[in-house]
Amino acid sequence: MASMSGQTQGGRDWLRAQTKLGRHAARPVVMFGLLNTILAIIQGTCIAAILGDALVIRAPAAAWAIAGFCIAALLRAGLSVASERVSVRNGSAARQRLRLDVMSRLLAAGPSLLRHEHSAALTTTVVDRVDAMDGFFARWLPASVLAIAGPVLVLLAVAAVDWRAALVLGACGLLVPVAQAASGIGAAAASRHQFQALSRLQARFLDRVRGISTIVLSGRAADEAVALAQAANELRRRTMRVLRVAFIASAALDCALALALVVLAIRYGHAAVTHRLNTVPALFVLLMVPEFFAPLRAFSVAYQDRAHATGAAEALATVPPMPVVAPVTAAIRTVTAHGVSITFEHVGFTWDPARGPALEDISFRVPAGETLVLAGPSGAGKSTILEILLGFVSPQTGRVLVNGADLATIVPEALNRMIASIGQRPTIFAGTVRDNIRFAKPDATDKEIEAAARNARVSQFVESLPRGLDTEIGEGGYGLSGGQAQRVAIARAFLKNAPLLLLDEPTAHLDPATEGDVMDSLRRLSVGRTVVMASHAAAVLSLGNRRLDLRDGRVVTARGAA
Amino acid sequence: MSPLYRILLLWRRQWPWLAAGAIVSVASVLTGAALLALAGAHVAVLLMGATAAVGAMLTALGPARVVLRYAERLVTHSATFRALASLRVWFFRRLAARSAGGLGMQRSGDLASRLVADVEALDGLYLRILVPLASAAVLLLVLLAFLVGQGAELWLPCLGAACLFAVSAFVIPGLAARSAQRSGVAVTGANAGLRVAVLDALSGLREVRMFGAEARMAEGVAARDWEAGLAQGRLATRAAFAQAGGFLCAQLAIVLLLLSASSRPVSAVGAVFLLVAAFEATSGLSRAGALAGHAAAAARRVLDAAAPPANAVAEPATPVDLPRSNALRFDGVHFRWAADRPELFDGLTLEVPQGSRVAILGPSGCGKSTLAALLLKITSPSSGRILLGGADLASLSAEDVRSRFGVLSQSTHLFDDTIRANLLLGRPAADEPAIWRALDEAEIGEFVRSLPEGLDTWLGEGGARVSGGQGRRIALARTLLSEAPILVLDEPGAGLDAQTERAFLKTLNDLPSGRTLLLITHRLTGAERLDRIWRLSGGHAIAAAA
Repeated sequence: MASMSGQTQGGRDWLRAQTKLGRHAARPVVMFGLLNTILAIIQGTCIAAILGDALVIRAPAAAWAIAGFCIAALLRAGLSVASERVSVRNGSAARQRLRLDVMSRLLAAGPSLLRHEHSAALTTTVVDRVDAMDGFFARWLPASVLAIAGPVLVLLAVAAVDWRAALVLGACGLLVPVAQAASGIGAAAASRHQFQALSRLQARFLDRVRGISTIVLSGRAADEAVALAQAANELRRRTMRVLRVAFIASAALDCALALALVVLAIRYGHAAVTHRLNTVPALFVLLMVPEFFAPLRAFSVAYQDRAHATGAAEALATVPPMPVVAPVTAAIRTVTAHGVSITFEHVGFTWDPARGPALEDISFRVPAGETLVLAGPSGAGKSTILEILLGFVSPQTGRVLVNGADLATIVPEALNRMIASIGQRPTIFAGTVRDNIRFAKPDATDKEIEAAARNARVSQFVESLPRGLDTEIGEGGYGLSGGQAQRVAIARAFLKNAPLLLLDEPTAHLDPATEGDVMDSLRRLSVGRTVVMASHAAAVLSLGNRRLDLRDGRVVTARGAA
Repeated sequence: MSPLYRILLLWRRQWPWLAAGAIVSVASVLTGAALLALAGAHVAVLLMGATAAVGAMLTALGPARVVLRYAERLVTHSATFRALASLRVWFFRRLAARSAGGLGMQRSGDLASRLVADVEALDGLYLRILVPLASAAVLLLVLLAFLVGQGAELWLPCLGAACLFAVSAFVIPGLAARSAQRSGVAVTGANAGLRVAVLDALSGLREVRMFGAEARMAEGVAARDWEAGLAQGRLATRAAFAQAGGFLCAQLAIVLLLLSASSRPVSAVGAVFLLVAAFEATSGLSRAGALAGHAAAAARRVLDAAAPPANAVAEPATPVDLPRSNALRFDGVHFRWAADRPELFDGLTLEVPQGSRVAILGPSGCGKSTLAALLLKITSPSSGRILLGGADLASLSAEDVRSRFGVLSQSTHLFDDTIRANLLLGRPAADEPAIWRALDEAEIGEFVRSLPEGLDTWLGEGGARVSGGQGRRIALARTLLSEAPILVLDEPGAGLDAQTERAFLKTLNDLPSGRTLLLITHRLTGAERLDRIWRLSGGHAIAAAA
């Protein structure tokens, strides 16, 4: 989803908005961090006093200094636990907020997404991309503030005893952000590429796993394993590219720290030679060097989180926004009372310009309570007409009227309530047969579900199973034949009890005996409803009194449907 | 055997890399400790008023430390990723070995979670646990050696400090690992649950829209997310406490030395610096203990999904060579899918001579597809024999058997790839004319030619970019393209309109002789030219007139 070229405007704006949201929550962590630095300064003072006394006058440790050191140590331990817990909570709260937002947007965008994206790739966006934002809120936001405030606090303390040493420290500290910026630009780009490799690996694996039986039976499992190894190696190479650059920043930090220590040691060495050395301040300054660099180190580590967040921001910013809800018009509310009539007026639709139009200038009318059969070879445009009625896609030319109201003005929820649909490949979720039927109406009673199962002839095959309707079935309908899965979908339609019924080749996978049964059920289901059915099976054609023959997206003949 | 240990054994081929990483890491840690200890001693000497030149040792150690540190990070990370990549491939191979019949009750999202997230969680095993443990062990020796070199006044505090170091590097991580065991299991489970919920909602987008289930699905995901957040929070709290414990050990060790600093100040300053370096090098270990709980749970999930299922068809210890002939024979076969399911075959006997064209008819649910599963060694008969060229299938290796069959089943999968790649799955070396011939035979060549990108058209998830009937015919073409001598077509007419179906069945009549055709279907159209027809009924096969 992310564009290969630099950061997009949308991604930047999105990240800015997130920063504003996250800063507030990060405030306690920043506070804890500053307190920690102050306590470290106190501890440094105590150690310097103790060691100074020991070195110069060989005196045992002063009680106040030991006590101060210990109290500060306990407080720091408590602070680190508190800070960690708040950070984790912030990261997890932000993830949950973002995930719900992205998920809702994807659900609102609907099934047309699946024509361009694999569901596994979308899942990567919702799961891994959002997870990648965790560090941004938990670590980066506080670290980016502490990286300035923490070292400044230390510098002030050092300047109070030796302003020249403070200058040295400050100069060495400045090297860190410079090196970070230089390597950070490369790291951000590399992180984007790394994520794409991860996303591709996941989508590929998921797709292969779903078809693993096909792969094994074709004797290609070994080849697929090799391909997976290549993809995994590609991921490793990309990750190492990110890290090679990121580690340079940490190496620069090591250098800056060593440089500061060496310069200060030389400085105090000279002072010692000329006997102008104040032992305690010198010790204090040396002890403060690691404390000065600690927030910078945290910053450097969190810089990776920022790089991941930049990549994630772009992907998340490209997820379609929530649609604006159109005002409900009066016509829609009366729909169910009088049944549903459908009118197509010069409708045209193209999935892919390179393949030519899927529908061209289609016009027809189905009065309320009537059945229209769409006939024609596969690829003629039957499914596209149904997808338009389902609201998955909108006509690009012409318009569709439902009870005289333009389909485009009907809110998706209202449209959903009117329609029950049975597709070519119904999705069966892992779970029991009963749960799968209940999906159509979560508040349905067991009685309603059993009635729907009976009407759709689901009972016929579940009766032979030991647990009946409570038999567990696997993802994608494992354990059910194609015809059985189809009957579960019909049971869903019975349960939903909607006035408009859309059927896409409902008997494609059924043997004649079952097909007859299912046709009986469908005939019963169609009573009093408007039905649009795509089919090429002869038995089904008998159902319709109106028929539209399609070929290459155009109407060839129309009977009773003009 | 503990799951983490088994994972380590699986990394056998990466051991040299892993060992190299550990060695560089230990060297880097030692350099760091030496640098700080020497620098401390040097400063102490200066502060005592004595003059001392910055030793050559010290000047060399600085840059060495920076370089080693960088090398350590690169080598250990690279070694980890190699190990993880090999584990992923191993996982896939094992999964393939157990999934000839499909995923069954396993969820693809859960398996993806195991392959990606759980394997990822194992990176901590080496990077954050094993390598620091190696460093900690070496550092402990160094600390003890340092202890011996000190005067008697410092023995006690140094010994105390070494003990504290051992506590922070070994005892606290061990305790954290034990206490994090349950939250580790919760975290891996919750993460997988989240991924499955998201994938379910997104791959079922059509159904979700049709039944207005958007809010329900989003709620389900949010609930899983909340659970995952809770589990992670619990794990993080344990890690934070372990870390605080390690920190306090370090601070206490410093206090011990400070208390006795006046007796031998120079040594004491050196010791403090050494301690600081030692504790810093292993500061991650305390919290890594909590990670170990997570890693162990992840390892168990990876190993579980890769373990062969209980009802797996056993491979013969010494498979016999495939016989030349491709004649098939079922001999008194009894079969049921599970103990509580009715018996599907009750002494099934039927014959398919080599090169013959045979149809097996029967209503849905009579076991037609099971017949194919038995032939392909996806499952095995409870009694009776199935013979290929006179050899019992039980004595042949599954891979050999499957190489003889080209299969179109009802669950044949179209991959999210090009039409070409999908077809080549059946025969990787096929040339362009062969591909087109297969497409034409499946009555889909014309359609593919009409596509602007032809064979390189992307099919989409499960063939989403073509209609159901078109997808079915592409799958058919893939089966026809395979060079296997026995073709098993399970309901090839499903999803085809009557005209296309008849045309396709006619092209089947022109298959080169010598190829066996096994047509599994619920009805005949009359277009098929067949040598023999078997009708399945009541667990038996009854020969019908051809």
